[in-house]
Amino acid sequence: MAIFGLWVINKAGGLVYQRSFADGLAHLTSNEYLVLAGTLHGIHAITSRLSPTGTSSGAHVIEAETFKMTIFLTATGTKFVLLTSLSDQTADSVLQKIYEAYADAVMKNPFQTPEMPIRSEGFDARISTLIGSGVST
Amino acid sequence: MTIYSLYIYDRHCNCIYYQDWHRVKRLKPAVEGNILPGVSRAVAPHSSDTAASQSAFGTPRNTLSSSSGVVVALGDVTTSISSPTTGVMPISSVAPPPPPQPTSGLPFDEEAKLVYGVILSLRHMVKKLSGREEHFVAYRTSTYKLHLYETLSGYKFVILTDPQADSLRFVLRQLYTGPFLEYVVRNPLLDMDSREHGIDNEHFRSGTDRLLRGLPFFN
Repeated sequence: MAIFGLWVINKAGGLVYQRSFADGLAHLTSNEYLVLAGTLHGIHAITSRLSPTGTSSGAHVIEAETFKMTIFLTATGTKFVLLTSLSDQTADSVLQKIYEAYADAVMKNPFQTPEMPIRSEGFDARISTLIGSGVST
Repeated sequence: MTIYSLYIYDRHCNCIYYQDWHRVKRLKPAVEGNILPGVSRAVAPHSSDTAASQSAFGTPRNTLSSSSGVVVALGDVTTSISSPTTGVMPISSVAPPPPPQPTSGLPFDEEAKLVYGVILSLRHMVKKLSGREEHFVAYRTSTYKLHLYETLSGYKFVILTDPQADSLRFVLRQLYTGPFLEYVVRNPLLDMDSREHGIDNEHFRSGTDRLLRGLPFFN
């Protein structure tokens, strides 16, 4: 049960926060993360169009063989993406708590421009206490 | 557990087969020229002699006469085809036909390309993120779940089900080792790797239908 990483994507599809925790996924440059976040933003939009039963949300969980991505879409269009191991069942609750930390440390920060990259020590600290090193039994 | 639809793509990125079961929104037929012949009778573009080409490829339980009321559009009442509408939909002998249900808004060929694009992008992303030869397996939204099984030869089997389904990879693998190998690979009359033709044939269609309807959790 491990958490590999957290991404926060703004409503235009740009990556505003990225952090890695446990080992398990490849180490990528920040440019590559930017590209992947943009791709995910597009995929999320398309998956809601492909539904065989009318309107659908975008993709919520994307599974691979050793990890999965859980996507939480807020009402304002911000996406919180958590990359965890397959056996992790707590992804949704962790994302909720991350959203609360985001609302406290980022949104209430008067110096934070919305939709811009997040450079906040308070947010980093909150995330560290929440997720720690990312590895739990 | 409801199974909605099945797509098969070949290594040339073309959709070569399509079948559906419980599709709620009516499917718009493809625009002429954008879809290979032999993918699925239900989504082929209108031809002027539809009366002559009656369903030789219909599944035993033809979706046209589905009891759930879902109609896969073969003849739109508003388009002008030379054959009369009764020739196009022989099952519904009662005139008038049921009121047209809302279409999905996308012609089939565009929808198939979107599905393929989503799969391709997700495969690339998973491979990049993991750094190893890792495969994307499935994704889930609030209303459906999409499962992918890819063979070594580049054939991609995609199936859409309701979101509560468990991984259907083994079913897709059974589909590959069963009906696909039997009625497509071992069929001497079927040109598999052509860029101009799909793989729709009667045996394969009824074989997959039987396989999927025979699953214990098929709705």
